[in-house]
Amino acid sequence: MQLQYFLLVAAALFCIGVYGLVNSRNAVRVLMSIELMLNAVNLNLMAFSNYLDPQAIKGQIFTIFVIAIAAAEAAVGLAIVLAIYRNRDTVDMEQFNLLKW
Amino acid sequence: MLSTLIWFPVLGAIAIAALPLRQSKLVALTMSGFVLLWTLWIAHQFDFTNPLLQRQEYLPWLEPLGLNYQLGIDGLSLPLLMLNSLLTWIAIYSSQEETERPRLFYSLILLVSGAVAGAFLAQNLLLFFLFYEVELVPFYLLISIWGGEKRNYAAMKFLLYTALSGALILVAFLGLVWLRGADSFAYEALMGQSLPLWIQIVLLSLVLVGFGIKIPLVPLHTWLPDTYVAASTPVAILLGGVLAKLGAYGIFRFGLGLFPDAWATLAPGLATWATVSVLYGATVAIAQKDIKRMVAYSSIGHMGYILLGGAALTALSLVGAITQMVAHGLILAILFHLVGVVEAKVGTRELDVLNGLMNPIRGLPMVSALLVLGGMASAGIPGLVGFVSEFLVFQGSYSVFPVQTLLCVVGTGLTAVYFVILLNRTCFGKLDNAIAYFPQVEWRERVPALILALTIFFLGIQPTWLVRWSESTAIEMVAATPTVTHSPIAQVSD
Amino acid sequence: MDFASLAVQLNAGTIVPEAIVLITLMTVVVSDLIIGRQASAQWTPYIAIAGLLASVVALFYQWDVANPISFIGEFNGDALSVVFRGIIALSAATTILMSIRYVIQSGTSLAEFITILLTATLGGMFLSGSDELVAVYVSLETLSISSYLLTGYTKRDPRSNEAALKYLLIGASSSAIFLYGASLLYGLSGGETRLSTISASIASAGLAQSIGLVIALVFAIAGIAFKIAAVPFHQWTPDVYEGSPTPVVAFLSVGSKAAGFALAIRLLVTAFPLVSEQWQLVMTTLAILSMVLGNVVALAQTSMKRLLAYSSIGQAGFVMIGLILGTDAGYSSMVFYLMVYLFMNLGAFTCIILFTLRTGTDQISEYAGLYQKDPLLTLALSVCLLSLGGIPPLAGFFGKLYLFWAGWQAGAYPLVILGLVTSVISIYYYIRVVKMMVVKEPQEMSDSVKNYPPTDWTLPGMRPLQVGLVSALIATSLAGIFSNPLFTLANDSVLKTPMLQQALGRSKAPIAKQMAPTISQQLSLQITEVSTKKAVSLPKSMVHS
Repeated sequence: MQLQYFLLVAAALFCIGVYGLVNSRNAVRVLMSIELMLNAVNLNLMAFSNYLDPQAIKGQIFTIFVIAIAAAEAAVGLAIVLAIYRNRDTVDMEQFNLLKW
Repeated sequence: MLSTLIWFPVLGAIAIAALPLRQSKLVALTMSGFVLLWTLWIAHQFDFTNPLLQRQEYLPWLEPLGLNYQLGIDGLSLPLLMLNSLLTWIAIYSSQEETERPRLFYSLILLVSGAVAGAFLAQNLLLFFLFYEVELVPFYLLISIWGGEKRNYAAMKFLLYTALSGALILVAFLGLVWLRGADSFAYEALMGQSLPLWIQIVLLSLVLVGFGIKIPLVPLHTWLPDTYVAASTPVAILLGGVLAKLGAYGIFRFGLGLFPDAWATLAPGLATWATVSVLYGATVAIAQKDIKRMVAYSSIGHMGYILLGGAALTALSLVGAITQMVAHGLILAILFHLVGVVEAKVGTRELDVLNGLMNPIRGLPMVSALLVLGGMASAGIPGLVGFVSEFLVFQGSYSVFPVQTLLCVVGTGLTAVYFVILLNRTCFGKLDNAIAYFPQVEWRERVPALILALTIFFLGIQPTWLVRWSESTAIEMVAATPTVTHSPIAQVSD
Repeated sequence: MDFASLAVQLNAGTIVPEAIVLITLMTVVVSDLIIGRQASAQWTPYIAIAGLLASVVALFYQWDVANPISFIGEFNGDALSVVFRGIIALSAATTILMSIRYVIQSGTSLAEFITILLTATLGGMFLSGSDELVAVYVSLETLSISSYLLTGYTKRDPRSNEAALKYLLIGASSSAIFLYGASLLYGLSGGETRLSTISASIASAGLAQSIGLVIALVFAIAGIAFKIAAVPFHQWTPDVYEGSPTPVVAFLSVGSKAAGFALAIRLLVTAFPLVSEQWQLVMTTLAILSMVLGNVVALAQTSMKRLLAYSSIGQAGFVMIGLILGTDAGYSSMVFYLMVYLFMNLGAFTCIILFTLRTGTDQISEYAGLYQKDPLLTLALSVCLLSLGGIPPLAGFFGKLYLFWAGWQAGAYPLVILGLVTSVISIYYYIRVVKMMVVKEPQEMSDSVKNYPPTDWTLPGMRPLQVGLVSALIATSLAGIFSNPLFTLANDSVLKTPMLQQALGRSKAPIAKQMAPTISQQLSLQITEVSTKKAVSLPKSMVHS
């Protein structure tokens, strides 16, 4: 297996994430898209770490940090979505238009 | 101590604003009176024969920026300082007793006066710029709070124009200091001519346009009629009498002083520009129906003479230009003041409505008489200060720019035309007794006009008192400038 | 490896200021749990402020440490980071001063608010000194996630919720993009994560001109630009500023932004010197867009918080001028401007908070005639806004002057001229607010001002607000006139930072001084050279050959 394949998969995943980010109306789906992007990064880091840095495996360490922080981010994100659902009874992005100039 | 001239008014302004004093007008009057006396004392100590800076003060401030606290006076700034102190006092004295928000009003006036004094004294480019910008907001507030109708529009226009002028000047200053490779903005260090001519011309044009907005010169003048008309009388006196002089001073100090080569090259163009300003101002003034507006346009014309005198750059014309700054300041102040009085008493400024104020019983005889005097001074009738300065300017410029000078003399003639219109309509003719129930003119309103009238008259018959301040400085400035033969113009005149 | 040598290697002394903030944070949490919400609100804020000030004092001792690199290269406590950490800690302390009354009045728990704010501060402070990709990411996220929480702190307010959600989604996606850039950097450098070694490894691998590096750069800039709210990554700013609790906005606009700039300097200068022309070009574009759009759109705003949001976008554009220049004077003018910005922007927000607390609105039209009812507030807000507009002799004037002077020295004429023009525009909208407060006649007074309650400074939490207001007022009016110490601080922070000095290596002295002796000969040449370059002409010595 070559490094390029991993990178391509990661790039594809990242693009899917971006697509989902732009196109989703449901806030939870947007959060999931962001997770996809982060996972693409993780894949990148793992691949680089495996092929280029097999001794120090800094990339793998980095990945662990990313996963931990992504979990924190998702937790905070879901909490905010929950709060907004309680107030507005919806998680549809198009409905959030209180703030506009 | 020159600093007193800046900081005394500023401290006074802070005191009036911060302390709950009842008699804020009295306090402001005392403060400005003290400053006036102090200025006269400095003038008394002034050495006429010395063309260089006197009474210099220096304090290191922001060395990395090249901004230091450097003050000094010479024959260019001293007459203007006296004008500033006098007109500040007059403006405060002539303001109405029942002014709204008196504490803010008087503190802003004092603040402006201190800042203008600082600008006249500053010998560091950035320091000058700082003081130049400081008066921006106080003047904005003075116009927009105490002004007449359309004051918001006028004040905003004034603010934006002035801010733009500041930006242009800053660009010129930064450019000059950087290109000269200097590490300080000190004025003295920047004099001399080591820049290529075309760069000098670019920088000088920035300075000219920047200060040209302030003076103002046609076509940068559009803020002026609105602002002068909208401002209340004391503010208009300061605007026209002092602030416009700041622009002319800036052109001389930072245009002529820093870019003499470029100045000499551009001089024919400047003279023509001045002529256009003079003729435009005079012609438009003739067409006005509102006397305050008429006086405002007359100011555009008169400021043109100053530029003409500077462009000709003979010792005589330069002295004339400096004298013209003072003379115009005094004349504009008395005119604005009297127009203010007329408006307050009669209730209108419309030429078509005003009539026969000279009427000794029902009219405003004293005010009218003084108005006639002001108009005559403005039109350059001999025996008054306006004549002295205009004569010096024309006498000095004729040898260099005959055509332009002659056109400017025509401009003086036009001035006489519109003042005759003004005086004829307002003062003479038959007063309609049915509507003429004017309130009494108080001494508060007469005294400033009397003081100004006496000064105008006195300096008119004793011009040496005015001219001697700036003579040696003017000679020095001319000597520092290379002589460029204006061959095309000379050919035209042949 | 024995403990002593490990301790030497870790060099943990450099993060004492952060440790102090951390201990304060723990104290606040624990004491809140022990003594209960009501009682803790009495004094936890003061503990937090004391802790932050102690941290600033500790930073003072960090100023001249011999070996600033700690945790095996994770953290670099050099002079530049010290200044930025100081700015962040001070902004947090001021934010707490102004938030006490606000949080009490909103009926939420004060100690929790302070805890989250301190966490954000911690993240920001670590971010200013992070010298390694993992550390950068972790501290960036610490700052960001606590900022999301702060934004949504008033959880019963749907506007606050919405602001938090928008901020979170945009923030998280921008940090994901940033992270993707970081992973590319890691790969291109062949497994390096320390910023200082990345560029060397990339250069030695012969990838200096690779497209991958440019992609990594663009992605990294996206992350940074989001933090400093530069156009076109600014869309969140107005919404978040409008919806969030006002003290939070104050912190975001100063503390969080300063952290973003610290990251920008460190990352761009140390990790991307190979593509310095490219990043300078990109940042120039962002600066131009920010100055123009921020200042122009601000003209049309009717809400005070939105006005300040756009104004802060414009201000970020000004600060970026300093970043782009790549000279000593550029960086130090940027640091100086941020210090001054701290006073004036926080002062403005203190005033807005005070007004909102009394009237419950932040519409600009509601400020009409405030002069009559609250002269102190009017004065303070006017001074702060005019200072933001760059009116002398206030602090902001000197900040802008220094920035423009530095820009001019480095030959960035178009940027400086644009900066001047946009500051003239900005004066218009700042003065509009001043006009509203000062110029309006008593009969034009707005309803909110008519019903303006008398000032009662004895209510709980009002005293700190008053202290914050008065000190911001004094600092804004005098910091400019007495700015010599700040100047020296800003200059020293750049001169004593090895990373910047290395980057500037070939142009140690300011450009103008270098040229002074031979100026007359070089001049004509120089000028033609400058005028032919289109966007920004960089000093020749900076362009890496």
